[in-house]
Amino acid sequence: MNDLKAIWLTAKTDSLPDSHEMVHIIRKFRNKKLLKITALVITAILLVAIMLWVVFIYKSTMLSTRFGEAFMIIAGIILVSTNLNSLLRFYKLKECSNKEFLQFLEQTRLRQQFYYQRTQVIAMAFCATGLLAYLYEGVYENTMLFISAYTGTVLYLLILWFVVRPRVFKKEEKKINAQIEKLESISKQINE
Amino acid sequence: MMDFEQLYNQYSPQIFRVCMGYVNDHEQAKDLTQETFISVWRNLSTFRNESKISTWIFRIATNNCLRALEKNSRIIKVELPFHLPDVPEETQEDKLTFLYNCIAELEEIDRIIISLVLEDLPQAEIASIVGLSHGNIRTKVHRIKDKLATKFKDHGQFE
Repeated sequence: MNDLKAIWLTAKTDSLPDSHEMVHIIRKFRNKKLLKITALVITAILLVAIMLWVVFIYKSTMLSTRFGEAFMIIAGIILVSTNLNSLLRFYKLKECSNKEFLQFLEQTRLRQQFYYQRTQVIAMAFCATGLLAYLYEGVYENTMLFISAYTGTVLYLLILWFVVRPRVFKKEEKKINAQIEKLESISKQINE
Repeated sequence: MMDFEQLYNQYSPQIFRVCMGYVNDHEQAKDLTQETFISVWRNLSTFRNESKISTWIFRIATNNCLRALEKNSRIIKVELPFHLPDVPEETQEDKLTFLYNCIAELEEIDRIIISLVLEDLPQAEIASIVGLSHGNIRTKVHRIKDKLATKFKDHGQFE
């Protein structure tokens, strides 16, 4: 074992930045993943705030508009709460052993899977229904406007629902499933 | 509060070697070392001395390694040939590469444990980093040493 230790210690570490360079790197560092979630949360909060502002400023007369506004606000709240929750989980994560960290990662992946399979579907359903209901009051008196607005929106939603989402979902699901499988195999190593 | 630069100077070579033992890729090990010290910098003010500072830093580093499985396509696993040609004189670098390749053939947790053993960490501290009992670590270390010894013996290296 001592021979191995002697070999082990011959690893060259001089390519590592010195402490001053390291401090510089740290100050420049931005966690892209966390920034992405933060941006999503801020956008969703803005969306909800704008919708609430519209509700109070623009007094709609039709029930469909009210429903539309409420549905879109619900979709925004779902997005904010789930993403804020996942962001807070990372900040709340304190010092932990490898075993605890693996459990945390497994939970994170399962939550991600649930998000893609359920939460995102529900939020999208609320948002799409809300949008279709909301549009009605503004266009129902003008047939041409009605047809073009609804054709455009329905087409957009169909592409989003049947093309974009399945593609993203398939890619993400494959990645998450592979990660869950890998995490389970590492957890087994700890527990055996 | 402890001085970050002092901690970095003291622990970065050790952390780099442990990461290298896990990923067997120089650039990724360097990235993981940097990520570790970014976490150390950010959380140093909240470190409450509930454990030794070295335990805390090694926990961050090894957890980062485990997380690297998200990009584990870069983790290099080299199948060792059954009969290595006789090399008259092996350089230290060859020996080190051979050692990394042997470690790369181990399972993830074993790679972490043996890297910490090679860094001369006490088994009680390794147990606290990995999250296993001392007895469990002792058994695992014994098994890993056997596995490594077999690999070295099989390939007639450094006898």
